[in-house]
Amino acid sequence: MPPVSQTIRVTVLFFGRLKDLAGHAEDSAEFSDATTIEQLFALYTARYPELAKYRSSVVASRNQEFAAWDTPLRSGDEVAFLPPVSGG
Amino acid sequence: MATLPHNDIFQLVREPIDTVALAGVVRAPEDGAVVTFDGFVRNQSHNRPTLYLDYEAYESMALTKMREIGLQIHEKYRIHRVAMVHRLGRLEIGETSVFIAVSAPHRAAAFDACRFAIDTLKRTVPIWKKEYFEDGAVWADGEMPPAPAATPRAKPAS
Repeated sequence: MPPVSQTIRVTVLFFGRLKDLAGHAEDSAEFSDATTIEQLFALYTARYPELAKYRSSVVASRNQEFAAWDTPLRSGDEVAFLPPVSGG
Repeated sequence: MATLPHNDIFQLVREPIDTVALAGVVRAPEDGAVVTFDGFVRNQSHNRPTLYLDYEAYESMALTKMREIGLQIHEKYRIHRVAMVHRLGRLEIGETSVFIAVSAPHRAAAFDACRFAIDTLKRTVPIWKKEYFEDGAVWADGEMPPAPAATPRAKPAS
């Protein structure tokens, strides 16, 4: 991972029961160091401990594409935490 | 209506879905079959009477995923056109939540593509439903979309 010195600012979206647990659908987060999606989620589980229970069933996306948990974030990214989907 | 290279239709709507119109719009003289899937709200879930459902979506990503399904079925099957529409918001018992119409010169491709499309939608499109009962509401059990595995640490520059 390349060293990052400037601030990384990302938009964070929650859906379904994750939105209920986080209490909001959209947030923004700022980091001064390289950060992955996993670390971003950890920030929210620290704030909303109930979220941690669902970690194993959550899928993350970065810029509207499913993304691995170790994906590094870039400024301007839109990250979403998605519970199991139930459309149809 | 938004159209794509194949003249397909992918929409998220908040009004009732006009299933008859959609089934008609994919038909053309060179086709011999239209297969449709009409998914609608059931009056019970696990033997509990349902009052209504409320659907929400990650709309920008859901539309992207729906278009991907369209491209996949054009690659896999000899079909002509696809219309895929999902409704969001509050839906009453019996109302259509998702409708897919696939036209093709021959029926086998249309059946296969329509089946693949609804199965893949249910597994990969970020849409969620909340089920409302007499005594409360729950988010429906869903399916986990296949997510990419962790990326290799030392990624060689390509």
